[in-house]
Amino acid sequence: MSSPFSINGGACVAMVGKDCVAIACDLRLGLQALTVSNNFPKIFQYGDNVFLGLTGLATDVATVSDLFRYKVNMYRLREERQIAPRTFSNLVSSSLYERRFGPWFVSPVVAGLDPKTGQPFICGFDSIGCIDFAKDFIVSGTATEQLFGMCESLWEPDLGPDQLFETISQSLLNAVDRDALSGWGAHVYIIEKDKVTKRLLKGRQD
Amino acid sequence: MADRYSFSLTTFSPSGKLVQIEYALNAVNQGVTALGIKATNGIVLATEKKSSSPLADPSSLSKISLITPNIGMVYSGMGPDYRVLVDRARKVSHTGYKRIYNEYPPTRILVQDVARVMQEATQSGGVRPYGVSLLIAGWDEGILPEEEIEAKEGEEGKKLSGKTGGILKGGPMLYQVDPSGSYFPWKATAIGKSATTAKTFLEKRYTEGLELEDAVHIALLTLKETIEGEMNGETIEIGIVGPPAHHLLGVEGVEGAVGPRFRKLTPQEIEDYLTNL
Amino acid sequence: MAMFSQNPLLNGASYSFSEAPKFNAPEGAREHRFDPYTDNGGSTLAIAGADFTIMAGDTRLTSGYSINSRFHPKVFKIGGTTSDQSDATLVLSVVGFAADGEALKERLDAICKMYRYRHGKPMSVKACAQRLSTILYQKRFFPYYAYAILGGLDEEGKGAVYSYDPVGSYEREQCRAGGAAASLIMPFLDNQVNFKNQFIPGSGEGHALQERERHPLSRQEVETLVKDAFDGAVERHIEVGDGLQMMIITKEGIEEVVLPLKRD
Repeated sequence: MSSPFSINGGACVAMVGKDCVAIACDLRLGLQALTVSNNFPKIFQYGDNVFLGLTGLATDVATVSDLFRYKVNMYRLREERQIAPRTFSNLVSSSLYERRFGPWFVSPVVAGLDPKTGQPFICGFDSIGCIDFAKDFIVSGTATEQLFGMCESLWEPDLGPDQLFETISQSLLNAVDRDALSGWGAHVYIIEKDKVTKRLLKGRQD
Repeated sequence: MADRYSFSLTTFSPSGKLVQIEYALNAVNQGVTALGIKATNGIVLATEKKSSSPLADPSSLSKISLITPNIGMVYSGMGPDYRVLVDRARKVSHTGYKRIYNEYPPTRILVQDVARVMQEATQSGGVRPYGVSLLIAGWDEGILPEEEIEAKEGEEGKKLSGKTGGILKGGPMLYQVDPSGSYFPWKATAIGKSATTAKTFLEKRYTEGLELEDAVHIALLTLKETIEGEMNGETIEIGIVGPPAHHLLGVEGVEGAVGPRFRKLTPQEIEDYLTNL
Repeated sequence: MAMFSQNPLLNGASYSFSEAPKFNAPEGAREHRFDPYTDNGGSTLAIAGADFTIMAGDTRLTSGYSINSRFHPKVFKIGGTTSDQSDATLVLSVVGFAADGEALKERLDAICKMYRYRHGKPMSVKACAQRLSTILYQKRFFPYYAYAILGGLDEEGKGAVYSYDPVGSYEREQCRAGGAAASLIMPFLDNQVNFKNQFIPGSGEGHALQERERHPLSRQEVETLVKDAFDGAVERHIEVGDGLQMMIITKEGIEEVVLPLKRD
C-alpha cells in the first residue's frame, strides 16, 4: 500500500485490432483509500496516431506527461515531422532509463499506428524503461491482475474498431470494479488510420 | 588559467566580415576537389586521392567516411580537421540520436549536428574554425506511406520517381557544410580547388530523373576534367548511397536486418566503371 | 549462498522452522521462528447453475518457483458413505496451503460421514456450509491457511456455492474464484456470469442504461466459461497449470472430468 505505484491508484490498457488500436484508462485519483478526484485521465496524445497511457504516482504521471510534451514538441520542431509510435516508444524507454537509480514511479503504455505502414503498434514499459512489445494487449496500473484476466479471456485477433471498443471497454470496466483503487469512469480511444474516436464511459461511481 | 582568459579568435572585421572564416574557405579552396551527385535512387560521392609522395601507400588513405549505415561524407580542405569532424559526427549520431530513439538520424539532422559543431568553432574561445567543407550524403527512411507520396507527386506534377529525399518522403539527400556552419542541400555539387570548373561541368551533364549508374558515370567524367594525376582504382575514391548492401551485414537470416545503404566502391569496382567510361 | 538461490526450497524449508540468520546478528544471538505456512499456489473456481453446480481447480502444486506436482487435486467429493465417495452429494475445493487444505477436507469429510451415519441421510449443503464455517473459526488463532469453496444442490435442487475466508467468514454466491489467479478470474466471472457492465443497447444514456437481465446459464455454457477462465489464468499465472479438474454436481450425482492445461 505504501508503494509509490499504488498510492494514487489507476489502470490503463491498450489493445491491438485489425488496422486499429485502442487505449483506455480509468479516471480515479486517490490518496490510499480516499478518492480525491473522479476526473484524472491518464492518456495523453503526442501525435495524430501516438498515445501514451501513464499509471502510477500521480505527481510523476503529470510530470512525465509534460516532459514528453516538451520532448515531442522539440522533436517536431527539429525534424519538421510527427513522431512515429515506435520512435516515441524508444524515446520513452531511454528517458526512463536516464533515471535508472531514481526512477519515475510510472508504468507507461504506448499505442498507435505506424505512419508508414498503418500497422497497429502497442508496447508497455517498466518504470526504468524496459520495453514490452506485445502483439495482443498491454495492461498497467493497480488493476493489472484483473486486466490480465479480462484481456486474456475476452481479446481475440483481428477485432474491428467497434468490436475492439466493446472488448477493451468490458475488459477495463470489469477489471476496475474488482480493484478498490481504480474506476470512477473511463476514457477509451479507438485509433484508426484517419480517425480517432474518444469515448467517456461512466462506469460504477464507487 | 588558459580557459579563464581565452577569447574567440574569430572576430568581426569593421566591414562586418569574419576573416577567419574566409581564411578557412581559402584552405578549402586549395583542397583536392570532391563532388557529389544525387540520383533518384541514390547518391555518388567522389574525390581524388592525391598523395604527396609516390612512395606513399594509397590503399591506407581514405577520404570518404561512413558515419551511419546510411550516411557517408567526403571533404575538401584540411585532412586532420576532417578526421575530427568524422569522429564528432559518428559520436553525435549515437549520443544525440541512436541512443535516444534507437534509430539512426535522418541526413538533415546529422548535417545540422555537424554544422553546429562547425559553427561553435567560429564563436568559441581559443579555437579556430575547421578548415574543411563537407559533402554529406545519406538515405532517409521517411514516414509517409507510399501511396501518399505518389498522390502528393501527382498534385505537384513533378517527378515520376518514387522518392525525392527528405525526412517525410524518404530517399537520397545530399548536403554541403561549410566552415561557417552553413549548409545547403544540392542535386549535384563540388567543393575544393576545381569546384567552379566541376560545377559548370555538372550543370551541363546533370538531368532530372538520373539513375545511380548514370550518376557514377557523370561523377567520373567530372573528375576526369579536373584531376591532376592519373585516374585509376587506386587514385580515386567513390562512395555511393544505393540499395541496402546485404552482403555487408555480416549476418544472415536475422529478421528485419537491413544492410547499409552507404558503401565505398572497391578499387576493382572503380576500375570496372573506368573501363566503361 | 543458499540465500541467493533461485529455488526457494534451497533457502531453507519455508514451511517449518526457518534457519536462524547467520549474519547481521550480535555474537551468540539467534532468532528462532516457527514458520508453519507455505503458499502452494493453484486456483479454484465454482459456478452455480439452475440445477447444477460446477466446481473446478487446477492440479498444479507449487512451492516458490518449483512445481512439486502436476497432479494434486484441489477439488474433493465430501460425505460419501464409501471410500470412493461414489454416493457423495457435496464438493469441497481448497487452495492455499495444501497440507491445511488436505486436513480441512479430511475433517469435513469425517464430520459429514458421521452425520450421514447418524441421521441416515446426507448433510444438506446449507448445514455443511455452516459446519465448515465453525470448523474454520475454531482455529481462529492458528487458522487453516486455506480458501475453501463448498458446492452442492440446495433443498430446492438449485445449484449452491458457498465461499470462505481462512477463518470461516462465508457467503452463498452465484460464482467464486479462489487462490492465486482469483483476481484474474473473478472480474471475468462478474462479466460473464452476472453480466456486470452489460446493458441493453439504446435503453438510455449513462447511468440511465438498463442492465442486461440475468438468466441462469446452461451446463454447456458454464463448462466453456470454466475452461476459458483457466486458459486465461494459465497464460498469465505461473502457479496455475498442468490439469483442470472439474466436478459437475447434478441430482444424478457427481461427474468428474479432468482436462489438460498448459504445462509450461
